[in-house]
Amino acid sequence: MINEENKELAHRQHVKYFMRFLNILPSSLSSHDSTRVTIAYFSVAGLDVLGSITSISIELRSRIIDWLYLLQVQPRKSDGDMSTCGFQGSSTINIELDNANSHYRCGHLAMTYTALCTLLALGDDLSRVNRKAIINGVKALQTEEGNFSATLSGCESDMRFVYCAACISYILNDWSGFNVEKATDYIIKCMGYDYGIAQCPELESHGGTTYCALATLSLTNRLDKLSEYQMDSLRRWLVFRQVDGFQGRPNKPVDTCYSFWVGASLKMLDILHLTNYNSNKRYVYETQDYVVGGFSKWPDTCTDPMHTYLGLAGLSLIGESGLLEIVPTLNITRRAYDHLKSLHQKWDSEL
Amino acid sequence: MSDSGDSDITWIFYKDRPEWSDVTPVPENDGSKPVVVIAHSEKFEDVYDYFRAILQTNEKSERALHLTKDAVELNPANYTVWQYRRDLLQALGTDLRSELDYVEAVIKQSPKNYQVWHHRRVLVEWLQDSNLELELTHDALLQDPKNYHAWQHRQWAIKTFGLFEKEMEFVDNLITDDVRNNSAWNQRYFVMNNHLGWSDMNVQKEICYTLEKIKFVKNNESAWNYLRGVLLHDSKGLSGNTEVTSFCEELYSNKCRSPYLMAFLIDICDEAIKKGEINSSYNAEKALDLCQALATKYDKIRCKYWNFIAEKFRKYQSNQD
Repeated sequence: MINEENKELAHRQHVKYFMRFLNILPSSLSSHDSTRVTIAYFSVAGLDVLGSITSISIELRSRIIDWLYLLQVQPRKSDGDMSTCGFQGSSTINIELDNANSHYRCGHLAMTYTALCTLLALGDDLSRVNRKAIINGVKALQTEEGNFSATLSGCESDMRFVYCAACISYILNDWSGFNVEKATDYIIKCMGYDYGIAQCPELESHGGTTYCALATLSLTNRLDKLSEYQMDSLRRWLVFRQVDGFQGRPNKPVDTCYSFWVGASLKMLDILHLTNYNSNKRYVYETQDYVVGGFSKWPDTCTDPMHTYLGLAGLSLIGESGLLEIVPTLNITRRAYDHLKSLHQKWDSEL
Repeated sequence: MSDSGDSDITWIFYKDRPEWSDVTPVPENDGSKPVVVIAHSEKFEDVYDYFRAILQTNEKSERALHLTKDAVELNPANYTVWQYRRDLLQALGTDLRSELDYVEAVIKQSPKNYQVWHHRRVLVEWLQDSNLELELTHDALLQDPKNYHAWQHRQWAIKTFGLFEKEMEFVDNLITDDVRNNSAWNQRYFVMNNHLGWSDMNVQKEICYTLEKIKFVKNNESAWNYLRGVLLHDSKGLSGNTEVTSFCEELYSNKCRSPYLMAFLIDICDEAIKKGEINSSYNAEKALDLCQALATKYDKIRCKYWNFIAEKFRKYQSNQD
């Protein structure tokens, strides 16, 4: 890595980096086989924040869109059951199944969320999204506790999927599959004695899960459910995550992705501007591969699409030039968000 | 986990196995123009072609169970394979003890994989036997004392099966090993909150313990946060425990300028002001001095934040005038 040059954005290299991931990946990534949609999301969203969505040819854009729609699980033909509806993360289980085993082919909340964000960034009008079915799929996944499982068949439930469910409901402009009161109670139960927020009640507070919780409260207009004291203490916890870049938990190493998770949390609480932008920026650039593009979590380690996208998104939050604005709650660009708002208007007028 | 298939010379493809000749493999349908294509090894494709085939026919057999093992090895994050494997275990009445051994081995290879820990949890629920869970998570935490998955599983097992008895000893050891291990401090709170309880005596004991640890390493956010957590259970609040306040004063007069100490003192001031303790030495003026010192000297990275906090105390001052 050439450190001298690592003070500025390797814009052109990052565009190439994401374009490579959109095409073909080596067999060493086989363990990502069931979550290919997230790779598409990080790449497309990354190109979007770089202001380079047009680097993707119109032909490739429509290929990505068609491929995503292939992964949408439709209501069961025999009885119209919608509990498995949503997007799958890949076509690994993209096969016809009969009633006895149809539940193995099911949507996954993180894949549905990232598929929708990718479609929005690509300018799709979501007309092929079966909105009603997906909302029913979301509804089937909320637990008694108020959180969500990722899929109908055998999966853990935690704060990550509360966030995904909230984003899906917001994007599709339909909250009938999301019990807001229950989810809010769950989030407040996950606030720890240090006022950070954890994956589940009583677990350790974490920057990533705090982001998921705050974004959910923000998307559901429930930030006021936190008392003033809780809010001030949470702000303190978040501000203390800055070392030079940000860490996810007290006494853990700094990691590029938390410049987004913690940065976006601070942004939602209106105090990101009270952090030290220069130190943050310097750290994130230390993890940039100036030659072939990409960011890693730590300096001189392997880059990956997730850290590359989140590194860029984190830089965008602090106003780095050459990057589009990010909407912190949904984690998409303002450009994609405006497109979504125009779709909402259209849907409203169709009612 | 990378796919080692191509270098595995003893491997026989499913399509070449006579005992599988009755099954027609089902290739992946990735559409006519796929994107984000992974160039899987031939082994990967072969195994998953046969996995799709048995899934489609819903075959519940020993050979299917074996196949899921190969599929999981190639991609331990495939939750459908794990779910099908669980359904097979139930349908075949397989010995779940051997499955516990198996998943333990997979956890050792992929300790940060959500699916394996979920599989483990379901098995423990089926068996209603949590005898091995403390040891399993102990081993995972030896490798990485902050592994979130291991802590989550451990808390679940302890809460579900009431395994609190020796947990404080375990926590003590971890904190002794690394006083900055925030996960261990969190677990300490978990044990107090669910098991030992916050009697006045326990609150006092925990305060003593924490102050000792702070004396040892002063600039340790984890210990300071825990101290705040303990004081949530002291009716006199942050500012009312004289042992805590005199400890802080002594540290400060001995030139300790840890931002955590100073932030704690600021919060004591804030509480005293809100309680209306007019004659307290914990007042707006003191808080302002501390904010100023943090912003300009001891915690410069948060300079703007401390100036922002200082504003609040200036408002208190002007309200008093």
